[in-house]
Amino acid sequence: MSRQSNRTTDSKKMNAELFTLTYGALVTQLCKDYENDEEVNKQLDKMGYNIGVRLIEDFLARSSVGRCQDFRETADVIAKVAFKMYLGITPSVTNWSPAGDEFSLILESNPLVDFVELPDNHSSLVYSNLLCGVLRGALEMVQMAVEVKFSQDTLRGDNVTEIRMKFIKRMEENLPAGDEVHSRICVPC
Amino acid sequence: MLTRLKTQVPLFSMNSYTKLREKLKLSGLSFASTHSHVIRLGRHSRHNSKMAVCIAVIAKENYPLFIRSVPIQNELKFHYTVHTSLDVVEEKISAVGKAMADQRELYLGLLYPTEDYKVYPHLIKWYVTCLHQFFSYQIVCILLYRHTRYGYVTNSKVKFVIVVDSSNTSLRDNEIRSMFRKLHNSFTDVMCNPFYNPGDTIQSKAFDSIVSAMMVQAS
Repeated sequence: MSRQSNRTTDSKKMNAELFTLTYGALVTQLCKDYENDEEVNKQLDKMGYNIGVRLIEDFLARSSVGRCQDFRETADVIAKVAFKMYLGITPSVTNWSPAGDEFSLILESNPLVDFVELPDNHSSLVYSNLLCGVLRGALEMVQMAVEVKFSQDTLRGDNVTEIRMKFIKRMEENLPAGDEVHSRICVPC
Repeated sequence: MLTRLKTQVPLFSMNSYTKLREKLKLSGLSFASTHSHVIRLGRHSRHNSKMAVCIAVIAKENYPLFIRSVPIQNELKFHYTVHTSLDVVEEKISAVGKAMADQRELYLGLLYPTEDYKVYPHLIKWYVTCLHQFFSYQIVCILLYRHTRYGYVTNSKVKFVIVVDSSNTSLRDNEIRSMFRKLHNSFTDVMCNPFYNPGDTIQSKAFDSIVSAMMVQAS
């Protein structure tokens, strides 16, 4: 099934509520299966990682952005191009650390959490942890090791959702250390 | 049960009349005497009349998912009220039958009005001693307020009941419809919460705030 022709056109429209409900069903099923918030967070991160290592190819093909020169450019591309393309929102990039290796993405609205209210017995659940995994996996495929976590979450009562991203190191070309190993065309550094 | 007084106006001397007014004002009731000599005491409403007194959401199996009433009232009475209005709802649903099957939602409109009576024993004693000067004992029951109930049913057989205090201006149909629409929308949002299991009682903060905005402010 050739999908090359679709790459350059607009992504197919899908109902946002179906997406939100699907993600919600996923999280609640994980909660029922693991019954431990920390374990669920880890699983969401792993799932996000697997999505991210595949999504990066789609992103590079659709957006045709070139190689980023530094971390700041990476941050801008993530916020203005990637989030806009996949979630339809444009977070703002703020709170750069003095060394320039850490920044925050502030999301005013998070489409994954429409209609969601966390019950009291799941207070340590990071509901949108999948996003952290996606970002981590995608950046690992372009040879950047990052640490991603949520520092503020509207579901916990904060005003905005804030994702904190920290640059760890630039990686040598190698295969991803995820759950599944695929052969990939390595992009030279 | 509202009795007529057997004498002509003026009923009391000015002194006791003003005293009665004051006493009633303290209990939050207003006093009006009409020319037909029937004393009616209505609840002194100091708040916006466009508000509900009780809101209930009932599941298709006819048990309540959510009931909230103004706290100064007797809550159990409201539970009974809502329960009895379910009978009327069932009647209306079955009466509509196949003819209206294509209508998306059934706004049932006014279910039935009631007049509630409540006896205030401490006031009675005082009132009766006043009257005693003029004529024999009368038992006075005080017409407290009128309740009208409105119903709304969705296609999934979830019922919404709103009880309003209509002692002041009566609400227009449009306003009731818009209240129901807001309720239905926030109920849909509650259903979309993945942590909510259909059939549970509704414990959502967003839903609570919508309902509180519609309720009478407790004075």
